[in-house]
Parts: sequence; C-alpha cells; structure tokens
Amino acid sequence: MENTNFIIQFLEWLMSFDRAAVILAATAIGTGLAMIAGIGPGIGQGFAAGKGAEAVSYNPKTSKQVTTVMLLGAAVAETSGILSLVIALIMLYGNPMVNLSGGAIVIAASAIGAGLSMIAGIGPGIGQGYAAGKSTEMTGKRPKHQSSIVRTMFLGQAVAQTTGIYAMIIALVLMFANPLINLL
Amino acid sequence: MEPITGKALILAASAIGAGLAMIAGIGPGIGQGYAAGKGAEGVGRQPEAQGDITRTMLLGAAVAETTGIYGLIIALILLFANPLIGLL
Repeated sequence: MENTNFIIQFLEWLMSFDRAAVILAATAIGTGLAMIAGIGPGIGQGFAAGKGAEAVSYNPKTSKQVTTVMLLGAAVAETSGILSLVIALIMLYGNPMVNLSGGAIVIAASAIGAGLSMIAGIGPGIGQGYAAGKSTEMTGKRPKHQSSIVRTMFLGQAVAQTTGIYAMIIALVLMFANPLINLL
Repeated sequence: MEPITGKALILAASAIGAGLAMIAGIGPGIGQGYAAGKGAEGVGRQPEAQGDITRTMLLGAAVAETTGIYGLIIALILLFANPLIGLL
C-alpha cells in the first residue's frame, strides 16, 4: 500500500540524502532565521532617531547632548542584532553540527531551532530602542540631568536584554552541547 | 525527473535561508520611517533648526540601518560565497 502520510514521505525523502547535506541545508535555513532578529534593533533605533530629531527641534542648543545620548542608547539596542549576526556567522563558518554523530534529523532540526531561538532578539531590540528614544527626549528637555537619565536608561536596557541572552544560551546549547542527540 | 543531490538540497535550503534573512528589513523600515516622520514634524515646528534636526535624524537612521545590512550580508554570503557547500 502506498504511504499517503506526506510528512512521513517528506522525512523519508529527506533521509535519502547524505546526512551532511541534510544538516547543512537545515543550517542554511537556521542562519536566515537567526537574522530575522534584526527587526528589533531596526525599529528601536529608528524610534531613538525620531525622538532625537524631535528633541533637537524643541531645543536646538542641546543638539550635541541629545546626539550623544541617542547614540549611546542605540548602541545598546544594537546588541541583539550583533548576537544574531555572530550566531549566523558561527553556523556558516564554524559549523559545529556537521561533524556530530547521531540522528541527522535531530541535528538538522536543532540547526533550525537555534535560528528560531535567535528571533527573540526582536524584543530587546525594540524595548532598548524605546528606552533610548525616551532618554533622548528627556535629555533634550532637561540637559542638566543627562548623567542620571543615561544611568537609568542603561539599567533598564540591561534588564531588557535578559530574554535575548536566554535565547542565545538556548541557541548555543543546541549548537555546541546538544542534549537531544544522546537521547536517541 | 533527475534525482536531487545533496548539493541541490543545500542550495535550495540556502535560497530559503537567504530569503528569511532579508525579513529583518521590516525593522529598519519601520524605525527609519518613524524617524523621518519625527524629523519632518521637528522641521515644521522649528524651521530654522533644519540643519541640526536633519543631522540628528540621519545619524540615528544610519544606526537603525545596520541590522538590515547584516541581514543583507548573510543573504549575499548564502547566495554568492556559500561556505556550507564546501563542508559537504
């Protein structure tokens, strides 16, 4: 009897390839997925840039201070994008998964999962960018309090980064210390 | 139909990966659009500060562009200098 379960058919077709090919193909998809995190810093830093333009228009004399705070905040908001880039580059140029022994399907799925996990970087990127934008706005309004504004901003941004770090830990575990392979 | 080789599978998945990487372009688009909007608002409110406002806006927008460029780089690597084929 013909097997009509298309998922099983697809997996059997996939397993007809060389195991390295399946893992590398999954790595290519995972690399692309990881870069989706770039959405976050893009939105967040754009918000900071907008608030910077607004603050300068209210009080053009504070232009320098406003720009400094905007760039500081935007630099922190960039972190998640850089972490994703690092994971993508590791997958491309230092792929730890292709030489692993064990179920090829598990390793391939782990490569896609590592990429998916890095998408979490959207959140910290947007959140830290919002903090950067608000700090920029307030520096424009009250330039005297720049240092305490920036300190509060950094503190909040550090907390906002946590979920991005969790995601990176999971991605690194899936890539370098995969516990699933031994369970097969 | 000719049989699909392992290399073909990697190349097909690389095409998907390159497309996925470019989804990151959503972010800079939204963010820079917000910045441009606020820039226009600021110039309307304070036309004499146009130079300062535009400079701040462009500086911030340039920073917001970076993640879009990262996505583009990864997509271009997957398309034109794919390191995964060599590992097969």
